Amino acid sequence: MIRPLLVALLQVRIYIQDKGDLAFSLLLPIAIFALMYGAFGEMQFHGTAHVVNEDQGGAYSALFIEWLEEVDNLDVELLSTSKADARLDRADLLMVLYIPQGFSDRLASGEQAQLIFKQRGNGGDEGQIVASIVGGVADQMAQEFQVRGQVSEYLAGSGISQERIDITVQRLLENERESPAVVVKEETVGDSPDPVNEFLPGIITMFVLFAITLTARALVEERKKGTLERLLTTRLSVGQLFAGKFLVNFSRGFLQTLILLLLSYAVFQMFTPLSFMESLVVAIVFIAAVSALGLIIGSVARTEDQATWIAVFFTMSMVMLGGTFFEIPESGVLNVLSKISINTYANDAFRTIIADGGSLADAGLQMGVMAGVAVVGLVLGRVIFKVMPGGR
Amino acid sequence: MAEAFLTAQELHKSFNEHKAVDGVSFTIYKGEIFGLLGPNGAGKTTTIRMLSTVLEPDSGDVTIGGYSVRRDANAVRSLIGFWPQELALYEELSAFDNLVFFGRMVGLDGKEARAQAAARLELLGLAQRAKGRVDKFSGGMKRRVNLAVSLMGHPELLFMDEPTVGIDPQSRNNIYDTIEGLRDKGMTILYTTHYMEEANRLCDRVAIMDGGRIIAMDTPRELRSQIGPPDQVTLEDVFLRLTGRSLRD
Repeated sequence: MIRPLLVALLQVRIYIQDKGDLAFSLLLPIAIFALMYGAFGEMQFHGTAHVVNEDQGGAYSALFIEWLEEVDNLDVELLSTSKADARLDRADLLMVLYIPQGFSDRLASGEQAQLIFKQRGNGGDEGQIVASIVGGVADQMAQEFQVRGQVSEYLAGSGISQERIDITVQRLLENERESPAVVVKEETVGDSPDPVNEFLPGIITMFVLFAITLTARALVEERKKGTLERLLTTRLSVGQLFAGKFLVNFSRGFLQTLILLLLSYAVFQMFTPLSFMESLVVAIVFIAAVSALGLIIGSVARTEDQATWIAVFFTMSMVMLGGTFFEIPESGVLNVLSKISINTYANDAFRTIIADGGSLADAGLQMGVMAGVAVVGLVLGRVIFKVMPGGR
Repeated sequence: MAEAFLTAQELHKSFNEHKAVDGVSFTIYKGEIFGLLGPNGAGKTTTIRMLSTVLEPDSGDVTIGGYSVRRDANAVRSLIGFWPQELALYEELSAFDNLVFFGRMVGLDGKEARAQAAARLELLGLAQRAKGRVDKFSGGMKRRVNLAVSLMGHPELLFMDEPTVGIDPQSRNNIYDTIEGLRDKGMTILYTTHYMEEANRLCDRVAIMDGGRIIAMDTPRELRSQIGPPDQVTLEDVFLRLTGRSLRD
């Protein structure tokens, strides 16, 4: 039993000799997490309205911009016409709001005033949201002007001065803005589907599976160095050699996944202590399966290039069929094909625990399949190693 | 009559349709250095790999120290040391660590492995560089570490597959001296080489292989005497006479 451990420890010692490799492998899960955080960490909208104010000195255009600046999560960037046009031309901006000359005068005289959006294509997701916000502010301004006009018209000839009417209407409108007659109240009836919960399983499984290349190359590198042949003349059995290689690759995969899960736990607070431990158990079984599959590839491949390419092809196939990049339909050919991907079972097991709040028992089938793959993979790898040319 | 330590009987090994070894039989006696010579592709390395349990013969058997490589491979492995053609070392690690690791693999406990590692490195003049990374060593030093590794566990039979290829004369002579010292201590050695003067100097008997078969086997002197006065012809003359002058792949 000691020999597999010694093989694994030797591999670890070699591994930590190369500081670059070591740093890379430990930083990789952190980098993956940083990408996840970038993608999902700040899900609330925050956008910028790019505005060209051609109505220079206009009171209402200034007021409109002031109102825009008061909108939460919206920045306002004022641009000159030429600069805005140039940035639109080179697609640096997808949407710009133009406040045309005479905007304030037209409003003051009771005429219809226009705001103009210039956009490339549909203006992009952010542009559409910004346009919607700007439209809301414009509606508010239009309604207030309408109220002012109608009140002035109604009170015309009543003897009340226009100045007093304006002040009174302004005060009432400000009251209305502060305490609107109709308010929208939000009631939470359950957790929102957190995108992190949805995507994390796929990211973990993909990440673990990428390490299959390292496992596959481990045997081939021994063969290339000549140490495999030398080891085969010692009392180390092939089974012990496999166990050692399995152990070291499993440990590396586990350490990396642990870092990823811990960061997710700490930053996204997406686990309970129990679900975290259950996720770790799923990870352990999946990493064992992947390590065993890596040994099969290592037994088949004769060169490092072969090992790399077989592993890459295998990884990409499993990731695609496992529903990491797109949702697998409930039925059809793709659904059937997805059953051959180990990622399908791993993703399902992780999602059961992370996204659906289920337990390990709920992921029993998936866990069983993965454990089966680990055992069959080890046995098959050993058999292939024996029957391949030069094997024993 | 010397005691037979290794007996190979009718060994056959094919890779696809190619017969790499085709009915090889020979005996190596305890304490002798037995040379296995032959041009490239003659089947020497495949033969050594079968003798050292790396490869299983398609047919035939080998007995080493009374154990069959087919039935008692583990017992055989406890008797042999193997010096492969390549530098079979973990070059990222120190010479000492390599020796200790392979010592553990041949069945030594940690203390014994460390003690033997230190002794082997001393024997091969590498004690000062014991903690140095192997990839910083010269080619000759690496070869000596390679030899030191193969001596871990006190093997009774040492397989040496072209051990002096590409090294400087000083390291080569150090290896010769070590091999002769090992013979003096009773170790049995199977030695393959392309250098005929090396075989002539070191080997008690040699077998010349070609096309997967042994085509001649005797002492170097007897083989030389088959084509002329043994003091006037060389083993290389015999080799070329038997295997021809055409180039091999």
